[in-house]
Amino acid sequence: MDIFSGLLNGFSIALTPMNVLFAFIGAVLGTAIGVLPGLGPAATIALLLPATYAIESPVTAIILMAGIFYGSMYGGSTTSILLNLPGEAASVVTCIDGYKMAQQGRAGAALGIAAIGSFVAGTVGVIGMTFFAPVIATFALSFGPPEKFSLAVVGLLLAVTLSGASIVKGLIMMATGLLLADVGLDPISGKTRFAFGVTELNSGFDFVTLAMGVFGLGEIFYGLEQTMKGELVTTKVGQVWPTMKDWVASRWAILRGTLVGFFIGVIPGGGAVISSLVSYAVEKRVAKDPSQFGHGAIQGVAGPESANNAASSSSFIPLLTLGIPGNASIAMIFAALLIKGVTPGPFLIQEHPEIFWGVIASMYIGNVMLLVLNLPLVGLWAQLVRVPFAIMAPVIILFTAIGSYSIQGQVFDIYSLVGFGLFGYALRKLKIEAGPLVLAFVLGPMVEAAMRQSLLMSGGDFTVFVTRPISATLIALFVTLALGQAGVALWKSRRATASSNSNRP
Amino acid sequence: MKRLAASLTAILAVAAFSATAMAADFPTKPVQAVVPMAAGGSTDLLARAVEKYWAKYSKQPMVIVNKPGGGGVVGTEGVVRAKPDGYTLYIGYGSGHDVVMPTLQKMPYDPQKDLVAVSRVSIHSVAIVASAKAPYNDIKELLAFAKKEGKPITTAVSVKAGAVDLALTAFGKAAGVNIVTVPFSGGAEATTALAGGHLMIGGGHPSEIIPHVKAGRFKVLAVVLPERDPSLPNVPTLKEQGVNVATWGSIKGLAAPAATPKEVVKEIDATIKKICDDPEFRKTMADLNQPILYQNSEDFAKFIKQATADYAALIKELNIKID
Repeated sequence: MDIFSGLLNGFSIALTPMNVLFAFIGAVLGTAIGVLPGLGPAATIALLLPATYAIESPVTAIILMAGIFYGSMYGGSTTSILLNLPGEAASVVTCIDGYKMAQQGRAGAALGIAAIGSFVAGTVGVIGMTFFAPVIATFALSFGPPEKFSLAVVGLLLAVTLSGASIVKGLIMMATGLLLADVGLDPISGKTRFAFGVTELNSGFDFVTLAMGVFGLGEIFYGLEQTMKGELVTTKVGQVWPTMKDWVASRWAILRGTLVGFFIGVIPGGGAVISSLVSYAVEKRVAKDPSQFGHGAIQGVAGPESANNAASSSSFIPLLTLGIPGNASIAMIFAALLIKGVTPGPFLIQEHPEIFWGVIASMYIGNVMLLVLNLPLVGLWAQLVRVPFAIMAPVIILFTAIGSYSIQGQVFDIYSLVGFGLFGYALRKLKIEAGPLVLAFVLGPMVEAAMRQSLLMSGGDFTVFVTRPISATLIALFVTLALGQAGVALWKSRRATASSNSNRP
Repeated sequence: MKRLAASLTAILAVAAFSATAMAADFPTKPVQAVVPMAAGGSTDLLARAVEKYWAKYSKQPMVIVNKPGGGGVVGTEGVVRAKPDGYTLYIGYGSGHDVVMPTLQKMPYDPQKDLVAVSRVSIHSVAIVASAKAPYNDIKELLAFAKKEGKPITTAVSVKAGAVDLALTAFGKAAGVNIVTVPFSGGAEATTALAGGHLMIGGGHPSEIIPHVKAGRFKVLAVVLPERDPSLPNVPTLKEQGVNVATWGSIKGLAAPAATPKEVVKEIDATIKKICDDPEFRKTMADLNQPILYQNSEDFAKFIKQATADYAALIKELNIKID
């Protein structure tokens, strides 16, 4: 009964015209920055922070910022699907099947499913938050360094399987991603590695720059070659809305993605990325025809897009119940609340119930707004594929360059963007999927730091990874998956050799 | 000839006038304040609190730019190389990379010669904390517990060779116990791991740990300052508890490029002084658990010199190296 009266009170706050207006502004802004490559929610919230001082009530300020954060998750899929340009780590997976769908003239279906999946996941995520926040928060705290290591290792394994047919290519890309991630500060000793005296490299390569280069620019360079040969990449708009068949194919993927995202997203640092990976892997495994994955399977868009949205809702739980910010955007919201004299944490619900319930209620409203806002846009975005390549290419190059410059205000990042673009082009020519590289780049530092922290804690004893229950379970899962994968590969190669032998005259 | 002399005098007069006018008019455009740390951290919070009240005492707004990376070196170097006109400031002067790092590794600039101190705003001391469930309540009990168990004391710290890491390592050495510091990427991550009960003790700045203390998750064992921290008045220092170790923690002030005109530095310092005296600012800082310990430009420069020397002596004594 407490929860319901609280929620009712929350709605009475969230539904005041002022708060509805700010939730709407947040949703619009979030969608916009999600679509613009390079501009992330953390940077936008940081820029807008001074403006929030002028807003009298802390509830209104946090409603605005929360709207920007989860709004950007809706927008993030748009460029991944249309342009093969992931705006953040959690939408790298969406590129794989989403962009293939767009090339097949099914951009509308992919965008539509992503919007609906995001809505369902966002709403279920908020419902979960309403009822289970304190329980989930304790679960998040139980992830210490050994658990994080084991989780990230499972994530790496799943990233390798994204490579499609060739596991070897996937492993090569993973290794390359791990090497690139080593550039910059050593997370444990504080020493600079592989910077070769370049000050800009002291902090390592930037993730967004890497992703935009390898995926977006690489795709453009490749497209340039195709256009010069006289082959148009795509001009088909096709069906703007998902068909009945698409719905039926995606409904369980959306629900599974939501559950995965809600639970894994709550783990501070990397939760959203790993949840999108796990969701993709789950969908591929339960699919009747896994060979469709990597060639435009709609479940490959529906699952991960739902997962990253559910994760964005559940990442509020550690903040609101424990006072622990799990990612950069949430950290900004944390800062804004502190400056307003509100300390998020276990007492928030007693000291400031209007904030706790007001924000939750506004997230119900915000998700509806985002759906209403995004569905009509699907038709509009889908028309983008009709824009001639000669116009589209320079515009994308300009936006990615501005995007990578804006992150740290360094010209150096534009050079590395171009470098990564050429690298991405080479990968495209060699028919190597870049997904594992980009994801290993994100997960690598997590694996390294967590492993060395665990070993410092245990005095160098490796059994720390198998004596703690959560970590042991994850390691067991890793071993099962790896052996299963190896078995399948071995069986396939045996069969292939056998059939090629029998084909010989 | 006469005309030439007259016009020369006029030019000189104008030049002289504009120099003073520059300080008097300052600022005529928004002032950019670089925070070389991630948004949302304790330095960023301090900067944003200053920014909020800056508008009250200055004709122009302050714009905060977060330039994290390289442990703070990247953003600070940007300020060092900026035009020395007072429109590019550095907030966070006195942090680990200004007073600790120069002793440990080669820097692309000299934090004392290439920057001019403007004003000190706060000092973030290092507090030693433990989980509220831990069987020890002060340093003496912690040491007795460690001796009885015979195991190293695992300690969560924000970053390697930062102010917190140094303070805890020095504590271990002085008390004769085996402290194993486990570095995380920032104070928030370190306190989260400690809150999950994954380590025995941890070190953190009061702004990071007080919310957890209020929530009943942490208890504070000691403060590593020469005197008690105003934001934790009931917590005894290490020295009071018989361990002869004290550090300056992490100092938080403002600096500008070295060649910035003296008048402009004075003007900014005066504005910061007014902000530090503002009752509302004092309340905001109290809410953030950051004590206001203002110093003017000259005193702050001397203080930075002293703190750097103290840290250098400590590092030498502990024989800490990064290579």
